Amino acid sequence: MSALRFEHVDKTFVRPSGEREAVLKDFSLEVAPGELVAIVGSSGIGKSTLLHLAAGLEQPDAGRVAFTAGRAPRLGMVFQQPRLFDWLTAADNIAVAIHTAGGDVARAQEMLTAVGLGKYAKSYPLSLSGGQRQRVALARAFAIQPDVVLLDEPFSALDELTARKLRLQLQELWLDHAPSGILVTHNTLEAAFLADRVVVLGGKPARIEKIVDVSEARPRNADNSFYFDLHRDILATLERHAG
Amino acid sequence: MALWTETASGRLARHQERRAGIDAARLRALAARVLPGLLFCALLAAAWQAMAIRSASPLVPDLYAIGDELKLILLSGEAYRQIGATLGRIVLGLLLGFVVALAVGLASARNRFARSFFEPALLLGLTVPGLVWALLCVIWFGLSLKTSVVAIALGIAPALAVSISQGIVAVDPQLVEAAHVYRLRFWERLRYLWLPAILPFLMSGMRLAFSLAWKVVVLVEVFGLSSGVGYALNTGFISQNVAAVVAWTLAFSVVVAAIEYGLFQTVERRLTRWKRKSLV
Repeated sequence: MSALRFEHVDKTFVRPSGEREAVLKDFSLEVAPGELVAIVGSSGIGKSTLLHLAAGLEQPDAGRVAFTAGRAPRLGMVFQQPRLFDWLTAADNIAVAIHTAGGDVARAQEMLTAVGLGKYAKSYPLSLSGGQRQRVALARAFAIQPDVVLLDEPFSALDELTARKLRLQLQELWLDHAPSGILVTHNTLEAAFLADRVVVLGGKPARIEKIVDVSEARPRNADNSFYFDLHRDILATLERHAG
Repeated sequence: MALWTETASGRLARHQERRAGIDAARLRALAARVLPGLLFCALLAAAWQAMAIRSASPLVPDLYAIGDELKLILLSGEAYRQIGATLGRIVLGLLLGFVVALAVGLASARNRFARSFFEPALLLGLTVPGLVWALLCVIWFGLSLKTSVVAIALGIAPALAVSISQGIVAVDPQLVEAAHVYRLRFWERLRYLWLPAILPFLMSGMRLAFSLAWKVVVLVEVFGLSSGVGYALNTGFISQNVAAVVAWTLAFSVVVAAIEYGLFQTVERRLTRWKRKSLV
């Protein structure tokens, strides 16, 4: 039983020069219910393409992306940039997503409180710091009580101190809501700390070079040397496949 | 208690002082904004008066004659009737033009074929003078409301469609993707994404459309209608009553300015409140 499956997916992009570039070929991967799978790999290898396929922003050329029970899943997504509507308050940005998902919009305030932004409900995104905006984006993704959460390098645009806080915040949200999800990241330590499995991609078209199981229960301690060891292991795999 | 009273009165005095400071600053800002414009109007009036005295001709009436004419059209109620008729036509023409421009602008922004298909029409529409639409509509539709409404719509739709299309193209595609992921329905996307995002383009387009509309409708009224500001201007022209022509122009200009400052700027300020609050 899986929450999300990539089944023999092919995806080819055509560059402006007309050149065809196969990013994924016969790619398969399963995400179990409640599992967070991190995907790491070099730039341009197709990590974000996987998320775009799962989110319906791209369509596979062959194969399919399937979700549990066949019904349309509730998807929460956090991008590298917060992608909030600047003209709506923090609370309204969340409320719009909740309303569309058929939930109770009063949860918007609860979610903001959960990410430590309770008093910023009526603030507009541009008056918030980058970290605060990304927290609103996290709150929006979890406010809709998602089946699947897609995280596309969510902390890469933040300074390390803020990113560290947000990783812990994400861990708390994950414990509270227990969705399934995929985290795409360049940060192998982040992958080791947050994920249940780390999938290392390599080659062109992308193939799975290695899967690292992180069999640690949550809540986790970010300073545990175990994650640093895993991070070194994953990094070594990446370096090997980068040539 | 006495100490408390003193502190409270001190606070009140400081509050009143601060309030007076804010009021004075606001007054200064208002004066800085309004006074240069008023100075220009005063100099223009003085130059006109000097020209009228120097030429001593009925073709250049002095300010008193223009003032008398203005009083006459205002007190007789003629100004309200004619300006009301013109504004009614402008509103209907703007509505029709907006609906057409929204459809064409949306299609052009979202579809490559539609963009290429409408491009010649928009280019032609932007270059054809309002006078041509006015003449053609009078010929086609005769003396009817349709004449002015269609002429205005034809005159404004191209410029407005270009504004709307540019606004839609400028919408951040990342926000469009976010709206897709969170499955916003059509009306939700329109309300929470498209309209707020294209608002600056829409407002500048509507302003341009309004200024074009009034030029087109006046021409239609001159050529083929028996009411409206254009008709009144034409009556003044036929009787060589320059004071009446200037008085009607002034009266309508005041209405146009009131719409610009009272309607467009108020609506724009209200809809872009978030920008000011974001800076706090």
